[in-house]
Amino acid sequence: MPRIAGIDVPERKPIRYALQYIHGIGEKIADDILRETNIDPAKRAGTLNESEVTAIAGFVDANLIVEGALRRQTSQNIQRLKDTRSYRGERHRKGLPCRGQRTRTNARTRKGRKKTVAGKKGVKG
Amino acid sequence: MGRSLKKGPFVDESLYLRVERLNQQSKREPLKTWARRCTIVPEFIGHTFKVHNGRAFLDVFVTEDMVGHKLGEFSHTRLFRGHTNKKEGIEGGEKGS
Repeated sequence: MPRIAGIDVPERKPIRYALQYIHGIGEKIADDILRETNIDPAKRAGTLNESEVTAIAGFVDANLIVEGALRRQTSQNIQRLKDTRSYRGERHRKGLPCRGQRTRTNARTRKGRKKTVAGKKGVKG
Repeated sequence: MGRSLKKGPFVDESLYLRVERLNQQSKREPLKTWARRCTIVPEFIGHTFKVHNGRAFLDVFVTEDMVGHKLGEFSHTRLFRGHTNKKEGIEGGEKGS
C-alpha cells in the first residue's frame, strides 16, 4: 500500500487519480508530480515499486503543502482576515460570500439551506 | 482578479507623502483621509488612519497583517442591525441611516 503525505492510502486506481485523494492535490498538481518523477500516470497505485513511491513522497514533501498543513494555512488566512476586522473577515464571520456576489438571491453555498421566514410572501410593504 | 504587476500597487500619492513626513519626524498622529482605494504599504505600519466610510471617519490602526489590503477594507460602509421582527413591529430593521 502506497503511503504518501502521511496516511493517505489510495489504491487500485491509476496513480494520477489516486494522488487526488490527498487534500491539496488535484488534476494539475497530480500531473506535475508524475511529470517531475517520470512515472506513468496510468499505472495503478498499488503496483508502484518502492523507489517510485519514495520519489513521489519526496517530491510532495519538498514542494507542496498538503493535508493538515494546508488546512491549517487556509484557516489561518481566514483567521487573519477576521482579526484585522477587514471586510472579508466580517463576511467570513457572518457566513456570507466575501467576493462581492449578490446575496438577495442565491449565495446558498455560503448561507446554507433556505431558512423560510413566515409571512414573507406577496407584495412588499 | 488582480491588478497588473507592471503597474505596482496603487498608493495615494499625497497620503503616502504625509506618512513619509511623519516617519521622518518619527511622529505618530491620526491621518484623516478619504483614500479608501489606497493600498496599505509597509511604511503605514503603526500609524492610525481615520478612513472615511461615507459618513464618518473610522479609526484604522494599521498592523503588519494589513499590508497589501486597501484602507477601505477596514472602514465598513454598511450598518446592519438585523432583520425586522414581525411580532414586535419595526424593531431594529432599516439598513443604513
